[in-house]
Amino acid sequence: MQGFVRAADRLAVTCAVLAGALLTTAALLITWLVIWRSLGNSAYWELEAAIYMMVAACFLGSPYCLMTKGHVGVDLLTTYLPSAWARRFHLFVVWLGLAVCLYLAWKGWLLTHETFVKMERTGSIWNPRKWPLYATMPVGMLLTALQYVAELFRTTNTNASVGHQ
Amino acid sequence: MTETQIGGVLLVTTLLVLFSGVPIAWGLTVVAIAFLLIFEGFGSLDAVALIMLDELASFALLTIPLFVLLGASIGATAAGRDIYESFYRLLYRVPGGLVIANIFACGVFSAICGSSPATAAAIGKVGVPEMLRRGVSRELATGSVCAGGTLGILIPPSVTLILYGLATETSIGRLFLAGVIPGILLVLLFAAYAWLASILENRERASTSAVPLPDVHFTTGEKIAGLAKAGPFLLILIAVGFFMYGGFATPSEVAAIAAVLGLGLVIVIYNTWRARDLWRIYSDTVRESTMILMIIAAAALYSYMLSRLYITQTAAEALVSLHMNRWVLMAAINVFLLVAGCFLPPVAIILMCMPVLTPVLEANNFDLIWFAIIMTVNLEIGLITPPVGLNLFVLRGVAPDIPIGVILRGSMPFVIIMLLFMVLMSVFPEIVTWLPDKVMGPGR
Repeated sequence: MQGFVRAADRLAVTCAVLAGALLTTAALLITWLVIWRSLGNSAYWELEAAIYMMVAACFLGSPYCLMTKGHVGVDLLTTYLPSAWARRFHLFVVWLGLAVCLYLAWKGWLLTHETFVKMERTGSIWNPRKWPLYATMPVGMLLTALQYVAELFRTTNTNASVGHQ
Repeated sequence: MTETQIGGVLLVTTLLVLFSGVPIAWGLTVVAIAFLLIFEGFGSLDAVALIMLDELASFALLTIPLFVLLGASIGATAAGRDIYESFYRLLYRVPGGLVIANIFACGVFSAICGSSPATAAAIGKVGVPEMLRRGVSRELATGSVCAGGTLGILIPPSVTLILYGLATETSIGRLFLAGVIPGILLVLLFAAYAWLASILENRERASTSAVPLPDVHFTTGEKIAGLAKAGPFLLILIAVGFFMYGGFATPSEVAAIAAVLGLGLVIVIYNTWRARDLWRIYSDTVRESTMILMIIAAAALYSYMLSRLYITQTAAEALVSLHMNRWVLMAAINVFLLVAGCFLPPVAIILMCMPVLTPVLEANNFDLIWFAIIMTVNLEIGLITPPVGLNLFVLRGVAPDIPIGVILRGSMPFVIIMLLFMVLMSVFPEIVTWLPDKVMGPGR
């Protein structure tokens, strides 16, 4: 169990590194585009590529964001509950988050599959395929769901040790 | 069920789900999916992924992670300390100079970073211990940083103003300009209060305290050295202004240039090229960007549900048909935002409220650019009021020994200044609209 939690955490950090690299590449690409354009040249693919990178960075960063409690939530109800109930409620909230991530991963997968089969493109001058953009959603949400499972293990462990004491 | 009844149930459900502690992004998604499923059936869920992805795949949204990257680069270094120190060396002779230096440093830091908690953290971690060491009261020390930090979302670049621009389809360049004069005025008002409060505190200390405070003196050379350290960051300000208002680049492109420039500067000046240093910058960037972008995607789904169930339209029509005096309406909106701001972060409030408020504001002839600044100052207050005041938590982290009650007591005078400032902007809307009209021409 601890091995799984460690692996999920490592995966989340790796994805965050990748997300950071994608954002930096997007920033450099757009800076280069402005310089390139100011020299009188035309640009057509850079902005769209930067958008693809940002969307990918957003979904890839999601498991790390969850791991480090970066997804802001308003923990108001649990503060008024007795501690045993608050722990149960926290567990429910984790399950709810897991369900949302799995559902979004499923919906994202359906959309990716559909655009892949239909070979849909964006319709811009560059006209890239849509599916690589859409595929980041099921991948990112599945990884976030994985991080939620790790969170469940962590919560259960804490609860068990609290109960034991 | 009528649209009004559905709207009522939706409001209660949304608040209950959001207050459960579930991340706001998932909370909004759950509520949107549940209401679509109950009232519109399975078919309405076909477009869930497409709505969220289409919202994210927007060129204008690129500004957010890129300005966050800029803020994180500066925030992860000792730049906050250097900016603060340069002001302190200039103002150390003025009564309350230390507190005023903190407020000015918050103002300058806000101009390079678009986030309030980041500003409060960067300036607070050096400013608060120094102020306490130099005999400033705990209330004034923490209150000034807590309030000064809120300037992060008012003085451009501001993530909040970008989101407002996206939600209301107003020009981000114009919104940024609109924040400049109110930002500077608020800094000056905060500084004036700090000056007055310090004079009173000094008088009280002189009559009661037996322990003399250490004497400080800075030579002209030291003052110039202090300014030289903070100077390079002015480069970013100049670059943002030059590219955005010189017509060379769009806001997203300016954000990219500023991010590259900011990252480059901190790598060169503060030697943050090691993997460990860079990771500090990137972990903050990825965390904050993902959090905001996920809320944006979820809010798009939530807005879709509101619109599909005809709630946005019904609520807007109901508010318009009340035929209230427009200033009574404005006061009511602001009271609602103040209450909402105590519980929810500005990002969520803007994305959830603006679809309903925009048509109401337009029907009552309120300028959306002017309202953006009123709303931002209002939401700033939410950042320093419990139970979910993000800056309060930051200050607790910076000064864990100081009880939250003391920080709140210290923040209250600044809250009152902000409320009065909102009234001032209502009486003289030119405070907000003059600069954007002057630079970009009148109109939206």
